[in-house]
Amino acid sequence: MLWIKNVRMVDPSQGISAIGDLLVKDGRIAKTGERFSEEDVLAVLGVKKINQVDQVEGQGKYLFPGLIDVHVHLREPGQEDKEDIQSGTRAAVRGGFTSILAMANTKPVVDTRAMVEFVRHQAQRAGKARVYPVAAVTKGFLGQELVEMVDLKDGGAVAFSDDGKGIQSAETMRLSLEYAKLTGCPIISHCEDNNLAGQGVMRKGEASARLGLKGIPASAESVMVARDVLIAGETGGKVHIAHVSTKESVWILRAAKKLGIDVSAEVNPHHLLFTDEDVKLTNASYKVNPPLAGREDQEALLEGLLDGTIDMLATDHAPHTWEEKTRPFAETPFGINALETVLAAVWQELVLKGKMNIEKVVQLWSVNPACRFGLEGGTLRAGTPADLVLFDPAWREIITAESLESKAQNTPFLGKELQGFPIMTWVGGKIVMNRDHN
Amino acid sequence: MMEGTPKNRIMDEDGIRRAISRISHEIVEKSKGTENLVLVGVRTRGVPLAERIQERILEFENVRLPLGLLDITLYRDDLSMIDVQPVLHETRVPFSIEGKTLILIDDVLFTGRTVRAALNALIDLGRPHKIQLAVLIDRGHRELPIRADFVGKNVPTSSRETISVCLKETDENEEVLLWEKL
Amino acid sequence: MQWMHKDLLDIDNLTAQEIEHILQTAVPMKEVLARPIKKLPTLRGKSIALMFYESSTRTRTSFETAAKILGADITNFSVAQSSVSKGESLLDTAKTLQAMNIDLVVIRHTSSGAPEFLAEWLTAGVINGGDGQHAHPTQALLDYFTIKDHLGGFKGKKILIIGDVLHSRVARSNALGLKKLGAEVTFIGPPTLLSPEMKYLGVKISYDLDKELPGADAVMALRLQLERQQSGLVPSIREYNRLYGLTRERIEKTGKPTIVMHPGPMNRGVEIASDLADSVQSVIEEQVTNGVAVRMALIYLMIGGGTANVVD
Repeated sequence: MLWIKNVRMVDPSQGISAIGDLLVKDGRIAKTGERFSEEDVLAVLGVKKINQVDQVEGQGKYLFPGLIDVHVHLREPGQEDKEDIQSGTRAAVRGGFTSILAMANTKPVVDTRAMVEFVRHQAQRAGKARVYPVAAVTKGFLGQELVEMVDLKDGGAVAFSDDGKGIQSAETMRLSLEYAKLTGCPIISHCEDNNLAGQGVMRKGEASARLGLKGIPASAESVMVARDVLIAGETGGKVHIAHVSTKESVWILRAAKKLGIDVSAEVNPHHLLFTDEDVKLTNASYKVNPPLAGREDQEALLEGLLDGTIDMLATDHAPHTWEEKTRPFAETPFGINALETVLAAVWQELVLKGKMNIEKVVQLWSVNPACRFGLEGGTLRAGTPADLVLFDPAWREIITAESLESKAQNTPFLGKELQGFPIMTWVGGKIVMNRDHN
Repeated sequence: MMEGTPKNRIMDEDGIRRAISRISHEIVEKSKGTENLVLVGVRTRGVPLAERIQERILEFENVRLPLGLLDITLYRDDLSMIDVQPVLHETRVPFSIEGKTLILIDDVLFTGRTVRAALNALIDLGRPHKIQLAVLIDRGHRELPIRADFVGKNVPTSSRETISVCLKETDENEEVLLWEKL
Repeated sequence: MQWMHKDLLDIDNLTAQEIEHILQTAVPMKEVLARPIKKLPTLRGKSIALMFYESSTRTRTSFETAAKILGADITNFSVAQSSVSKGESLLDTAKTLQAMNIDLVVIRHTSSGAPEFLAEWLTAGVINGGDGQHAHPTQALLDYFTIKDHLGGFKGKKILIIGDVLHSRVARSNALGLKKLGAEVTFIGPPTLLSPEMKYLGVKISYDLDKELPGADAVMALRLQLERQQSGLVPSIREYNRLYGLTRERIEKTGKPTIVMHPGPMNRGVEIASDLADSVQSVIEEQVTNGVAVRMALIYLMIGGGTANVVD
C-alpha cells in the first residue's frame, strides 16, 4: 500500500501533468487524483488504519510512469567483467528505468530460447528492473540464417536485433522483416555499412581531421536506414531504427513515415548532448557507435524528436571495463555508460535549457517505447502495474566510480556534478531504489 | 642588472683600455710573436674583450689573429640545478685549432667552472698545442685547480660580493663594479 | 625565451615564438654536427627511452643520434623485443618507464593520441615521434628549419604539400606551424587523398598541381603508400605520377629557385623523379641532417635543465 502525495504527476498517456496524489494497491496503481483525504485513501486501499499505508511526500518532485529503455547492453552471459544483469538492472532503477530491453550481443549471443529464458531468469533473480530480452536476428550474429523467431518470442523475446553490428546483406534484412511478421515483433536495425565505416573510430569531419582519427562518414548509417525503410515498406515488415545519429537519417525517416511505412526510431541522448567537437584523444568515453555527430545533425535529431519523426529516447548503455577504455582512443571499444547519468543530463541540458519539456521526455522514454514494443507500463492509468519514478529536480550528485551501480565507468560525466535525479523507483509497487537510503 | 648596491668602481673606461693593452702585449711577448696564436672569446663578454685584444695586436704587430667565439652552455656542469635555462648561442671557431697556441678570453675568473667547461668545449674542437687563459678580473674563490696566465686586475672579494663587467658592446656603459649582494 | 612545456605532442601547442626558439637553438646544434668530434657532455646521466611501436628507421635513428651526441643514455623499446608483443598495455609500459626514472620518452605509435595518453600518465616529458594520422611535430620542425635556412623566413612564402594528405601526419603538423609562422600553405592531391575538411587548417585545397606551381617557394612531396592503389584510393601509380609526380620540367613552372622537399622514405619515380631528388634544388638530405639538429635542440630544451618554468 502506497500513497504518494502532493506530487507533480506527468503522464502523457492520459494527457496529465498536474499536482495530485497516487495510490498503489497490490502492486498496481489504484487511483490518481487531485488531492486525497485520509478517508479517501482508506476507502480506496481497503485498509482500516493509515499507518498500514506507506506515505511519500512528493512536494516539489515529479512522478513519472517508470521509464522504459529499449536499448541496453547487460553483457551477461559472457562479459560479466563489464556488467551483469544484477549490476545493470540496479543501475537501471537508479537511473529511473523500470523496464529495459537487453540486447543480444552477449557471449554467446542470445539466439536460442534457452538463452532468452536465462536472461529473464537472471533478471527475476536480481529483482530490480523488468528485463525484456531482444533476441538475435541471425544465428550467431553471422548475418546468414534466421533464428527461430517464434520459439524465441514464446520464450520472452520482444524484438529481434543483431545490434552491435549491421546486417550487411539486404536480402537477409528482407527475409527477417518478412519472417518476423509471424511474431508481430519489430526488427531493431543497427544501421552501419561496414564498407563505408571501415576502420573509422569517430565521425568523419573536421574534428576527425584535427585529431587525426579515422573517420566514419555519415552515409555509413544513412544508406542503411534508407535501405531498411525501403525494405520495410516493400515487405510490410515492422522495423525500429536504433541510435539514429545523422540528419540524413532523420530526413529518410520523415519521408518514410509520410508514406505510412511501419518504422519507428530512437535517438541516444548522448547524440543530443555531445558532438564530434567534444571528442578528446585521451577520453574514450566519447567513443560511441554511431559516432558523435555534428551540430547540424544534433539539431535535426532534436527536431525529429519534437515533430514525431523519431519516437523515443534510448540510452544504448554500453558498459566497458576501465582497462578496455584506458588506452589510446583508436584501440578502445565503442560505448558509453549511460543508465545512471542520462536522465540528469537530459534534465539539465534539454529540459532546463528549454529544448524539450518534461512531458515530451516521458512520452519519448516511457509511453512510446511501451506502445511500440507492446510492453506493460508507460502510463499511470489505474489498474496498470505500479512502475513509478519519483524525480527530484533539485537533487545534485557528483558522479564517481564508487557511486555508480554499474560495473563500468565509461561515462564522460565521471567526476562531474549533475542535477536532477530519480530518488525513488518502484517496480510492480515494490520499492527497488531509494536514494536517501543508499 | 645586478641586485644590490654598487660598493666600488674597480675600473673605469681608461682602466679597462689599459688592462687590455697590457694583456695584449703580454700575450705576444710570452708567445715570442704572433705565429701560431689564435684567440677564442667565451660568450658573452669574453667575445668583445677578445675582439679588442685582436684589434690591439693588429695595431702594434700588424697581424690579425684568428678569432673564435665559444658558447659553453652545453658544457656546463650545473644545468640540472639552475632554475632558468640559458639560451643557447652558436659556437663559431672558423679555423683549425690543431697545434695552435690558443688564448682563451673571458671577463671574470671566479670558481673556474666556466673555464673548465670552455676547456672541454675546446678539446672537442681539436687538439691545440697549448691553451692559455686571459681574464679582465680575477676575483679568487677557485673551486677547481685553474689559474689565469694573463690578468687585467686581481680583486680580492668576499663571498657576499659580486663583480660585474660592463662593456660598450654588450652593455650601455664601460666599467667594472663591485657589488654587495642583497 | 624560456621553454615552458613538459611534452611536445603536436605543433598546435606551440606559439610562433616557441617554434622560432627551437629553430634558433638548433643552429648551434647543427654546428656541433659538423665537428669531427660529435659528442657533448650536456645530458650526461639523463636517460631517454625510445618507444617505437611502428617501424621507422629514419626517425628513430635521428632521435638516437641526437640523444647520443648530447651525451644522454638511450633505452630502445622496439616492439618486437619488448613486452608489448606479450600483450602489455601502453599504460603498464608507461608505469614501467616511470619506475625506471626515465627523463624523456620518445614515442611513435600507430594510434593517434598514444603520446597524449602517455603524457597524461608520465611525469617524464614525452615527445611525439609520430602518431597515427595525427601529428609528427619533430618532422614539421625540421622542415621549418630547412625552409628558414633556404628561404630566410616564412612570411608570405608559398609552400605546396603534395600527395597523400589524407593519411599524412607530416602534412597536418607542417601546415599547423607554417600558418602560425606566416606562410601560405596549399595542399594538393586527388580528392580521394585530400578531404575538404582539411580546410580547418586554414590551408588552400587544390587538386591541380600544375595550376599551383607558379610562384611556389617550396614544394614538399609526400610518400604515396603503394597499398593506396590496392584499396582503390588511386586508380594507378601511373596516373598518380602523371598528375602529381614532381619532375624537373614541372618544377620549372614555379619560375623561382624553388626548394624540393620530401620527408622520406621516397618512392623514386612515383611522387618524385629521381633526377629531381638528386638535383641542386633538392634539400632532402639536408632535411635529414637538420632533423638531428632540431631533435637535439628539442631534447636540450626539454631536459637540459632550467625546468622551473614548466607549466604543462
